[in-house]
Amino acid sequence: MNLLLFLIGFPLALAIVLLILPWVGLRRALVRIGAIVLSIATISLLTLHFSKDILYFDLGSGLINKAMIGIEALVCAYIIYMSVRFKKYWAGILSLLQTAMLIVFELSQGRAAHVEHNLFIDKFSVIMALVAGVIGSLIVLYATGYMQQFHHSYHKGLKDQRRVFFPVIFTFLSAMFGIIFSNNLVWLYFFWEITTLCSFLLIRYKKTAEANENSFRALTMNLLGGLGFAAGIIYLQHFFGIAGLDQLLMANKTGIMLGVVLLCFAGLTKSAQLPFSSWLVGAMVAPTPVSALLHSTTMVKAGVYLVLRMAFVLQGTLCGFLVALIGGVTFIISSLIAISQSDAKKVLAYSTIANLGLIVLCAGIGTYEAVWAGLMLIIFHALAKCLLFLCVGEVEHKIHSRNIEDMEGLIVTMPKLSIMLQIGIAGMFLAPFGMLISKWAVLRALVDTNPLLVIFVVFGSAATVFFWVKWMGKLIIVSHPKPEMESGISRWEWTPLVLLSLLTIAICGFFPLVSSNLVEPYVIEIYGKTFTMSAGNIHIMSLMLAMVMLFPLSFFNYGKKVKVVDAYLGGANSESRTEFSGFRGEVKSIELKNYYLMNYLPESKLLRLGVLVTVIFMVLMLGAVWI
Amino acid sequence: MDLKAIAIVVSYIILAPVAGGLLAGIDRVISARMQARRGPPLLQPFYDVFKLFNKENLVVRRSQNFYIWFFLAFVIFTGALFFSGGDLLLVIFALTLSGMFFVLAGYKASSPYSFVASQRELIQMMAYEPMVLLCAVGMYMVTRSFYVSDIAFSHKPLIIYLPALFAGFVYILAIKLRKSPFDLSLSHHAHQELVQGMTTEFSGRALAMIEIAHWYENVFILGFVYLFVANNPLAGLAVVSAIYFFMILVDNTFARMKCRFALESSWAMALVLGLGNILVLFFIKR
Amino acid sequence: MPFLKKSPWILHYDGSSCNGCDIEVVACLTPLYDVERLGVVNTGNPKHADIFLITGSVNEQNRQVIHNLYEQMPDPKVVVAVGICAASGGIFSDCYNILGGANKVIPVDVFVPGCAARPEAIIDGVIASLQVLEDKRARLAAMSAGKEEFIVETAAVSDSAEILALQKLAYTNEAELYNDFSLSPLRQTLDELREDFETMTFLKAVMNGKIVGSVRAFALGDTCFVWRLIIHPLYEGLGIAQRLMDEIENRFTCHRFEAFTGTKTKRKIFFFQRRGYRIFASEQVSEKRGRVYLEKVRKAETNV
Repeated sequence: MNLLLFLIGFPLALAIVLLILPWVGLRRALVRIGAIVLSIATISLLTLHFSKDILYFDLGSGLINKAMIGIEALVCAYIIYMSVRFKKYWAGILSLLQTAMLIVFELSQGRAAHVEHNLFIDKFSVIMALVAGVIGSLIVLYATGYMQQFHHSYHKGLKDQRRVFFPVIFTFLSAMFGIIFSNNLVWLYFFWEITTLCSFLLIRYKKTAEANENSFRALTMNLLGGLGFAAGIIYLQHFFGIAGLDQLLMANKTGIMLGVVLLCFAGLTKSAQLPFSSWLVGAMVAPTPVSALLHSTTMVKAGVYLVLRMAFVLQGTLCGFLVALIGGVTFIISSLIAISQSDAKKVLAYSTIANLGLIVLCAGIGTYEAVWAGLMLIIFHALAKCLLFLCVGEVEHKIHSRNIEDMEGLIVTMPKLSIMLQIGIAGMFLAPFGMLISKWAVLRALVDTNPLLVIFVVFGSAATVFFWVKWMGKLIIVSHPKPEMESGISRWEWTPLVLLSLLTIAICGFFPLVSSNLVEPYVIEIYGKTFTMSAGNIHIMSLMLAMVMLFPLSFFNYGKKVKVVDAYLGGANSESRTEFSGFRGEVKSIELKNYYLMNYLPESKLLRLGVLVTVIFMVLMLGAVWI
Repeated sequence: MDLKAIAIVVSYIILAPVAGGLLAGIDRVISARMQARRGPPLLQPFYDVFKLFNKENLVVRRSQNFYIWFFLAFVIFTGALFFSGGDLLLVIFALTLSGMFFVLAGYKASSPYSFVASQRELIQMMAYEPMVLLCAVGMYMVTRSFYVSDIAFSHKPLIIYLPALFAGFVYILAIKLRKSPFDLSLSHHAHQELVQGMTTEFSGRALAMIEIAHWYENVFILGFVYLFVANNPLAGLAVVSAIYFFMILVDNTFARMKCRFALESSWAMALVLGLGNILVLFFIKR
Repeated sequence: MPFLKKSPWILHYDGSSCNGCDIEVVACLTPLYDVERLGVVNTGNPKHADIFLITGSVNEQNRQVIHNLYEQMPDPKVVVAVGICAASGGIFSDCYNILGGANKVIPVDVFVPGCAARPEAIIDGVIASLQVLEDKRARLAAMSAGKEEFIVETAAVSDSAEILALQKLAYTNEAELYNDFSLSPLRQTLDELREDFETMTFLKAVMNGKIVGSVRAFALGDTCFVWRLIIHPLYEGLGIAQRLMDEIENRFTCHRFEAFTGTKTKRKIFFFQRRGYRIFASEQVSEKRGRVYLEKVRKAETNV
């Protein structure tokens, strides 16, 4: 248990220290040391807990509960102040509602329901801890180098608030660990709200009008989820005496569905499912490490974490089916919208929303196969998406653009980065990489229970192939010679990138180990049986991976026996290799631009459709609790 | 892997290009006869490929041929996995992987024609993938297994259980076989679309490899059609031949459609025929 | 293996044709003549083609295009000029804008006369070119197998007689172009050539013991001057000139290379332009002929 407390407390302590210390160099060093310490701590958590089952811990709760109430009140006050200052009143109202509701409830009735164990750890927690601790730490390391460049070279006009940036990040990590290890629902809610606050602070980092706008949108939607969370907690405690996750999972299903649905609602808003996806897309205005850490790897994963925890309860119910429908609709609509986006971060944002939708789909179905698939999805998505975000951040710094169309020829101008981008993209959709394994598992899970949902997976995954390969192709086209521009990236940025690339490949190669040691034990704990990939299929996947890995080797025997000529431009090639004589002998340059199908798959119309459908499903979901 | 599987894989690797080439030859002869011509000799595709091996290897970018080698390797892998009875879903995903390498080759060539062809090929892949996956799902629902070996030897007439899925599959077969009305990115012999589509910037050995890879792919696709009637081998072969002839007929009578139509209609077919068939099965099995 | 004969793929290009010959070419693909039974496929793409079927003559607008298309065809390849316009300019040969037949720009292997050439004649021409194609393939294969290899090496003063003979042979064609036989390469004496050996580097291409190509160059300051690039007429199209130029550019470390040739010697101009040379000056040497000067400035280029 000490390790759990360390993981929660250490980042928080570090954050406070960072706020106090005046010396820049020392602060930076502390950030780096802190990140490394965190990752070591999470890995040791893995080794310590490796062969154990679920463990519960007691922790004297009286003082902590009072402290939490106090901090919640402070947070609420701060949010009200901010909402008044910027005239975004909804945030303030929502925050006031839920905090008041919960505080009143806690003080009056809270003592009646007793949670035996406030903290716990099982394999799922270990997985999430690894994601937050290892991948999160790598992002923090990357951020030290990235933010340096951000302020010194690229955004000279912006106020340098790194002094506040890193403490908020560490506070966030601390809250993340809190969410992962909390069994007590009120504690979970507390840490949940802290992450909402951190997200709000980090999105507004640039302090521009756009950043402000988007940060409030994120805040409002997350607070709406928080309101649902609070209502759910009150409902469950008041009517059923349930105050902990373990009690929730063992309870009789009749009657508690409303509470479960409210908690799911919180999870859905946190993970930016439709109809709440706009906050995540808008949050891309934040600096890249924020987008990577909060909005793809950890915070939004907390949302699906909560829904996935309740998969067992959702299994077989109409509510669960509707949750799965919401996830499925989100998956397909977001994948279709991603096709029409040319801003790289928006593509990544929609892809994140889509993958989270897939995980929610698995959670809604709730069978052991689905949960296996959902867990694998969490692991692989966190890795690949983080890698992609970090690469895009670097590329954005160098070419001063986030547009995919400007990334043409990146394989020549920034070879190492473009290779890492390709590894990340491959990790997102390609066999034999992880996401493919997960999609395969999802399909298998669905065919046995509910073929209707197969439609979402099948159409959505076809759409994802399109926009990923489009991007990959753009990187390798070389139609105009350009200078190399990969210099000036610090080793604090390279190391996480390289490590993440290697991890993406390695985890794919070693996924049977991951499955049997981390994922399957959890599934067995909850369901009593688990899903494994047959040995034959594992061999085939490994063979595919080996074959794909041969591809980089081919560059050693680089095109020695070929003769280079110009491309076919109707014979009108002019002197330079990439120009042709056009009308009246005018020399024109060739331009290659991707299809975005913007009139065919318009973002606004698709969003409207998605929002309409999911709102209907949500209303039905709330109604279905009585069935 | 047991000896039988290895034997099947080896015979696929050796025999499939022969069969594929003969199929291509038959295609050209029948097309010619439909057009009141004599047509080339039956072995013409083989002459073409052997001739290509004698030609110089021209490239626009030095590494573009690598993608073709991996395209070929993964097409062979897909077919080998299919014919040795592997997991059908994995087979389909391996096919997507190989298709991706082909598309990337078109991108790498950095020329306008191959670029547009690659985009269209991606749209085509997006168009047929739902249907193919739904066929796999349908087959699972009837035979309770995703393994090709189980499906092929299940003694169940899948075409009776999955008539709508079969019809939908034949619809997208035009895309896979690169025939009108859906030969948008790369039309087969003597038909030009975007000059020569993705293969515009390839010559010599690389072009020969592309041709051979298409032969492997065609054999695999027709094998997939055979699965629907696998319970009776003779009927299966008859159905496959009839369908192939039907595709040649469609090729010669239909004009090329736009990629928007290809995508919309394929997805509509997948949704209506595919989902319909699956739902009917689901409720019957209940 | 005689597969080129069985599967000739065509690139059909219309130069300045009135489309009469083009219609006849396309008619060959129709059921009445059906060239597909010979394996002929009309590819629109030079990289896939074996036979370059040209109709119509060369004019200012298409000479670069014809050259580009020819360069983008993989070896072995043949050119069939269909119709009298492609052969010599036909009835338009005296026009101000017509440069002449296709052989002004690229080496033609088969001429199919006619205006418009009949499909039977075109098919005959294509079949005749197949044998040429096969011969080229055999020669290329022999060369790459080392049997009929040509080597490029420094020439010695003892080669001067053979080089002079080759020079006179090669430049006779050019003299015919201008109808001016007072060209200096034709009038150079053996002693003058021997003197040149002292100031210039001479390279020779030797095949089967015979000198089939030569070039000479010298450096002045940072510029290397490339003179008298000559290839035996029967050994054109085998890549000898390319190898000679490669060797010169390797041996001289200058940044700038300069060459000159006659204004009407289009093939040589294109050859240099393909290698990255640009025309920077021209002068009228005598009333019958002019000269163009080409230069190349060397810079590094990556190619991935």
